Amino acid sequence: MSQEHPEDSRPKREPGTLESYIIGFCLSLLLTALPYRLVVTKAVTGNTLLATILGFAALQMLVQIFFFLHLGRGPKPLYNVVFFGSTVGLIAVVVGGSIFIMNHLHYNMTPTEASNQLAQDEGIYQVEGTNTGACQKLNAKHQVTISSGKISPIDTKAQLCDTLTFMNEDSAAHDIAFGTYPNQDTYDGQTKLMLRKGGGMTITLDRSGTYQFYEHDNPKIAGSFTVSP
Amino acid sequence: MADTMTTEMTHEEAANNRAMFGFWVYLMTDLLMFGVLFAVFAVLHNNTAGGSSGRELFKLKLALIETFLLLTSSFACGLAMIAARQGNKNQVLAWFTVTFVLGVAFLSLELTEFGQLIHDGNTPSSSAFLSSFFTLVGAHGLHITLGLLWMVIVMAYVLARGLSSSMVRKLTMLSLYWHFLDIVWIFIFTIVYLRAFI
Repeated sequence: MSQEHPEDSRPKREPGTLESYIIGFCLSLLLTALPYRLVVTKAVTGNTLLATILGFAALQMLVQIFFFLHLGRGPKPLYNVVFFGSTVGLIAVVVGGSIFIMNHLHYNMTPTEASNQLAQDEGIYQVEGTNTGACQKLNAKHQVTISSGKISPIDTKAQLCDTLTFMNEDSAAHDIAFGTYPNQDTYDGQTKLMLRKGGGMTITLDRSGTYQFYEHDNPKIAGSFTVSP
Repeated sequence: MADTMTTEMTHEEAANNRAMFGFWVYLMTDLLMFGVLFAVFAVLHNNTAGGSSGRELFKLKLALIETFLLLTSSFACGLAMIAARQGNKNQVLAWFTVTFVLGVAFLSLELTEFGQLIHDGNTPSSSAFLSSFFTLVGAHGLHITLGLLWMVIVMAYVLARGLSSSMVRKLTMLSLYWHFLDIVWIFIFTIVYLRAFI
């Protein structure tokens, strides 16, 4: 008898019962509220937090796909699951690849600044007998401090292959640009040093001469450093 | 007799499955497009051109409310589909109305946010970050708008012609589309809004 009424068995395969929607809805509310709480309360920070909220988003996607879209519960063979899987794979390649390439772009650029930085980063100080401008070893350390809107010392004297650290001891973030206002130059492959409050950044003095720098948003705060060969 | 019945059913079922698979392929290509927009945003989100960053511009609470509106709307859409399979026309119309109202609420919040941003001088041409933000979130908003329009048309059809099996298939496609937009929004909420406050 049951063979004559195949439609009798169909409602059981029919996706989307009330319970499945309610479970899916509750789970998705939870998976939205939890990452929101984490971000607001700052229970974890930095990359851990980023990884956690991305994990919650992925979990949320799976919940919705299973409970709302009923993927994988349709007629077999499951071409739509295959299609979904390959789409997710393509997106992973596009998104992951874009981020990877753009973050490493300065390694593949040819301007002097970029190749200097590359040489510096990789410790390539000579190619076929020609100096690349990279330092073989770093010598003395110098420091410039910004505190309560003042730079000290105003002028730093240094030798080639010394390092210079910019420290920000102010209560606000500072951006240091090279050159004289309003122009912006580059030094050691950097156009701008973004200093968080209490943070610092170090450059390698790989070019001799006298160089000016100024606070990007407040050019009155300015200074210079002289590098002798 | 029973045999012919069975083959007819499987014919219809097969046509149904083909149509649903076709629609699924469309959804996946759409997802691919959103994936590319996400990639653009991920690359450009720090390029604020000296302007404000997301942390200064976005209101996280507003984004959370938008998320809850869209999630609830998606849930109501699911309830409408249960009613549709039971052939309960009035309930279908009622739940789709709830879905529609929540969708409009979501869209108006989003447009308010866009309006506020542009009013404060943070237009799509201000920085690469804002260009990619408006493109990604705007593309989603446009999909929501089209979905709402589709919903009105389908509801008018249900009202006029009742719930035939082909009508249920159309409703199923609409609900797939709506749930799909919900999933895309979850990633916008996480990557665009939550990430800005890390």
